Amino acid sequence: MVKNAQVISMYLLIHSGLIFFLYPADIIESTEVGHWIPILTGFAIHAAVMFVYLKGLRLADGQSVLDLFSSAGRTWSALLLAPVFVYLTMVLVITARAYSEIVNLLFLENTPLWATMALLLGVSAYVASLGIESIMRSGLLLFGLSLPFAVFVLATSFQNVDWHYLLPSIDRASASFSFLFGVPFLRSLFAFGGGFLFLGFIQPSLDYSHRRLLMSSLILLPLFLISVYVPLLTFGQNTSATFLFPFLMATDTVDVDYLIFERTTLFFMLSMFVFVLVFMAIVTWQTVRIATHFVNLPFKPAVMIWTCATFIACTKIEDWQQVERLLGWNTYFRLYAMFVIPAATLAIGIRYARKGDNTNEARAQ
Amino acid sequence: MRMIKELEARSETDSDLLFQHIRLAGQPTIFIAFRSLIDLPATLNDLYQRAAWVADQPERGSLGEEITEPEEEALLALLLGGQALLWHENGNRFASLTPIAKSLSRSIESPTTENVLRGSISAFVEDIDTNIGLIRKHEPSGSLHTRDFRLGSSGQKRVSFLYKEGVIDAKLKESITQRLVQNAERDAGDLQQLASLLGFPRWTLVTKFNTSELPQEAETALNEGKAVLLLERMPFAIILPSLMWDMFAVQNDRNFPAIFMMLIRFLRMLAVLTNIIIPGLYVALVSVNPDVLRIEMALTIAKSRVDVPYPSLVETLLLLFILELTLEASIRLPKSIGPTVTMVGGIILGQAVVSAKLVSNLLIIILAATSISSSVVVGFQNSFSIRLFKYLLLVLSAMYGVIGLVAGLVVICAYLASVTSFGIPYLELYKPGRKSNG
Repeated sequence: MVKNAQVISMYLLIHSGLIFFLYPADIIESTEVGHWIPILTGFAIHAAVMFVYLKGLRLADGQSVLDLFSSAGRTWSALLLAPVFVYLTMVLVITARAYSEIVNLLFLENTPLWATMALLLGVSAYVASLGIESIMRSGLLLFGLSLPFAVFVLATSFQNVDWHYLLPSIDRASASFSFLFGVPFLRSLFAFGGGFLFLGFIQPSLDYSHRRLLMSSLILLPLFLISVYVPLLTFGQNTSATFLFPFLMATDTVDVDYLIFERTTLFFMLSMFVFVLVFMAIVTWQTVRIATHFVNLPFKPAVMIWTCATFIACTKIEDWQQVERLLGWNTYFRLYAMFVIPAATLAIGIRYARKGDNTNEARAQ
Repeated sequence: MRMIKELEARSETDSDLLFQHIRLAGQPTIFIAFRSLIDLPATLNDLYQRAAWVADQPERGSLGEEITEPEEEALLALLLGGQALLWHENGNRFASLTPIAKSLSRSIESPTTENVLRGSISAFVEDIDTNIGLIRKHEPSGSLHTRDFRLGSSGQKRVSFLYKEGVIDAKLKESITQRLVQNAERDAGDLQQLASLLGFPRWTLVTKFNTSELPQEAETALNEGKAVLLLERMPFAIILPSLMWDMFAVQNDRNFPAIFMMLIRFLRMLAVLTNIIIPGLYVALVSVNPDVLRIEMALTIAKSRVDVPYPSLVETLLLLFILELTLEASIRLPKSIGPTVTMVGGIILGQAVVSAKLVSNLLIIILAATSISSSVVVGFQNSFSIRLFKYLLLVLSAMYGVIGLVAGLVVICAYLASVTSFGIPYLELYKPGRKSNG
């Protein structure tokens, strides 16, 4: 069944959930001048990788990545997917841990961290256990519900902007792409990498137009730019470089008279929280999907077990430094998931298509 | 002769079973029927005239339909079905005929649970044939088909399945027909039984049947490719599948200019959100996250709660409980006593409970908004779901504040997204002949 709206809104929702927290700080750290260059570079990488991935999937005639890889042999597919499994698990742990920290910081000072993590993981496990079609439908519904709030916050976030901070727009360091192999830039790929992997898992339950999806990724570009440039234009490079969450700080400065709420950050945080829950649900689903593909387990209990394991892992992380270290280790897996998986999909897809052609010809003869 | 004795013995326990000795065209005959189901004088009158007409020329056939092998069960079933029997003493023969029935249904009236502002106001009644007729009047189309099924252990409960050929989803039609045929021996006295007969899960928080008293709604549903079931003695149509959009839209909206229609529907959506969110939001803001409010606002709320002795969750639950009681009581009470409850409820909820410092002023406002908005949705069967959902949010808000509220919303959305009937998702926008997307 063609479900363009669901897939596109899920794609946008996942990425907007990831963009606005850690990404701006990394980009601001990666270079001092001309932040648009790393943003555009990152985006170009994202678009290219996604193009390759989708191309591979199209050659595979609407099979899921799991089935496609299995066509190349069980061992191969296990070898290819094991790092993805580790990567997704780490993403789940990091996201649950980091967002609980943020939520506790902003809203729940007196609540123990494990309680917040239990809420996050519990809700995402419930959503994941309902199966992919339900996840996608609730994604669309929640996207529609939180979109007005997100748009409102984005629109008002420009309140304290000083456009002079746009200049200088380029310098030697940024023009020479020296940031490319720096740790901050690689870390910023967190927002790009891995989020799109779900596109290969949802087929054949849901079909979608690959061209439209690629077009819709253009909507993300302004979001990336806003997330970095709003804090930059509000505080300037030197000040915003000191913040852990620059965009949140920027929205904190916004003052809207006619709201009964103190800060617009509330709306922003809440809609981002929704997006993150959905993201975690789909990551859980993907992880369990990979696991159940190789090990014969019923789906719902597997989700339960996996969530409990994640919860225990989360409680073992003691402080923010460990989260950052985990994020650092995760970089390698992320690069793998971001570059190797799409490339492998394309390669196996081409092989599959050729074989398909051969059998078709054989049948024709 | 034995058979007529057996039947006569029955009349001792069934006082409305009538045995009338008459002479039809000179022949001694016994007329048997349930007095409560037929119009006796008119039937007899008609019978004499027909008997005379048949007696004139024997080639015109006989009176009624000959029953070749009479059995007590079969005869009784005929009688209970509203037929009359004739027993001719000469030849010991039974014949059944259709008497003039007593009208045991009310006439077509305006609906009692759904108000119509603009549009046809005749509503369904208990008589299934009248209901089918009403739908046919609204939709005089050759592609509208009705299929009858007899359900129940005695096979007496009639269900009509209406659909529009060419518009209805073939899979939907197939699965409904199949279930009705397969489970024909099961009872379908109420909608729960019907739900289990159709294979719906027992523990669902969303009603799987969209019901309407209005033929107009049934017509719209048919044209949208949905299925309509009519149950005997149920004065409403059962529309399948029930979708979330039915909560917000009725056909009568289309009798207003388009822009008003959209605004009204938007209002209904806001009402549902208000109803679900507001009590939880109050608890979240008062007890967990007062810091997100503007300082003036936070102070006002704190001031209004200064003497209230217990946490906001208890306060809210207490008043919501009274509100639910009022709602339930006003359904049960006769119309003449209803206003008393309203008045008492109004006084308790309005003033006394605040003056007694049991709850805060603000909560009264919250509660008023909640109770009003719970009735804005179309179809009161839908209001049960949203009335229930708000408690989930209430509990989560008390634990996690605004974050809990949002997490609860995600859970509700996910639940709604997971509900399907006959493979059609609850959240789908149903359009005939168009691939759905959403």
